[in-house]
Amino acid sequence: MAEKIVVDAKGMACPGPITQLIRAYRKAKNGDIIEIYATDSGFKPDVEAWVKKTGNELLELTEENGVIKAVIKVTAK
Amino acid sequence: MSIGDIEMTKEKILVLGAGTGGLVAGNLLAHHGYKVTIVEKKTEHLFQPGMLWIAFQGHKPEKYIRPVKELVKPTVNLVQGTVKTIDLDERKVELADGRSLDYDYLVVALGSTLAYEELEGHKELVEKYGDFYSGAQNAAKFWSHFSQLKEGTLVIAAADPLYKCVPAPHKAVFLSTYTLKKKGLLGKVKVKLAVPFIYEYPNETISEILRPVFEERQIEVYTMFTVDRISLEEKKIYSLEGEELEFDLAAVIPFHKGPDVEFKQEGITDADRFIKVNKYKLNIEGYDDAFAIGDCNNAPTSKTGVTAHLGAEVVVDQIMGYEAKFTGRTNCPVVTNGEALFVISDYDNPPVHVKLSKMKRLMEDFFIASYWSSLREPEKWRTLFGAYFKATEPAVLKERGW
Repeated sequence: MAEKIVVDAKGMACPGPITQLIRAYRKAKNGDIIEIYATDSGFKPDVEAWVKKTGNELLELTEENGVIKAVIKVTAK
Repeated sequence: MSIGDIEMTKEKILVLGAGTGGLVAGNLLAHHGYKVTIVEKKTEHLFQPGMLWIAFQGHKPEKYIRPVKELVKPTVNLVQGTVKTIDLDERKVELADGRSLDYDYLVVALGSTLAYEELEGHKELVEKYGDFYSGAQNAAKFWSHFSQLKEGTLVIAAADPLYKCVPAPHKAVFLSTYTLKKKGLLGKVKVKLAVPFIYEYPNETISEILRPVFEERQIEVYTMFTVDRISLEEKKIYSLEGEELEFDLAAVIPFHKGPDVEFKQEGITDADRFIKVNKYKLNIEGYDDAFAIGDCNNAPTSKTGVTAHLGAEVVVDQIMGYEAKFTGRTNCPVVTNGEALFVISDYDNPPVHVKLSKMKRLMEDFFIASYWSSLREPEKWRTLFGAYFKATEPAVLKERGW
């Protein structure tokens, strides 16, 4: 069954958030949703580059009150 | 009351581990008259960056190893043993052989554990070729293979973005290509660096500085390549991101976990067994008489000898009753061979722009040369190191670079 994995990487400096994303991705399977929150401003371009490289699906990338939210559907495993 | 009586009333300190952090903390406190016990399971201390020089330039392992007993002050009680359980409420530590030790202040400096079993094919790879993370002998084993390599591909990669010494894989490819260049084999032996990060180095500024060196040395860099499994049979490394690399010789940085000890209390460690601390005070969350320094804690900074050393000083100051705060300062040397730079950052500042230079390489040689003395006599080096760290604060350097 597909699962939703929520990762809180708020307050972590680079490369903390991307580290958390890679670790969540290792455990995930196709169909899973990874929802990750970060405050490091570099996370936005990082997550875009990561999605492009890995071929997973970026469902949402928003920023509100300094918190970046990325929602990724795992499709490339 | 005589001075001797005052010293007798000082608290009992128990330090777990005789790595960089444990030795600096234990020896500094002993210098200030505390009754210090250090527990260490090994009889020898390894200068860990030395593994790179052994594996890629053929240095002798003896150069980077000293008996632990030569690195502790005469007044320190050195106990050889393996820590099994820690009871933070009862202030009691039990060793694997059944001995029990109590304390007024506890400093946990047990380092991290390398988890080769986490990655398919990793144990087999290390058994065959050695590597530059699991000790001087395995580094020497790697050199015995690397020094024989006349053609083919050398791959340096990592199992996870979290490992000690962030620039270690970069140093690995720089030192190895220098050796190959000297032998006229650069190009015949292809060197490939695969990192989990978005850029060559976790930080973009440092990546830009290193890029020309990668080019000049003909090093191929693969970013967003986190090792998923290794096949010794196929001689291939597969990444989580869906790529693969063929190799003739390879070293993969293993998964890191916290120390393999049991806490009697729940919730002391995170999911990877790293000890949860206040990132400024380095006390174990919920306790003011127990600290965790260096690689074994979960402070959001790099796992390096420098953070262990500086963390030890912060803990010693607090035990002595002073205000002290750990800033998360790093000073990670990236050595290309003839030149070096330091990756300088802290909790509040990302790595600052630091140029590669011969002078910094000289400074790194100076740090290496001072290592044994800085462990045994940290009090003598504190002023000098303190001046260096003050002059190179990220907040100072960030505008003008270095």
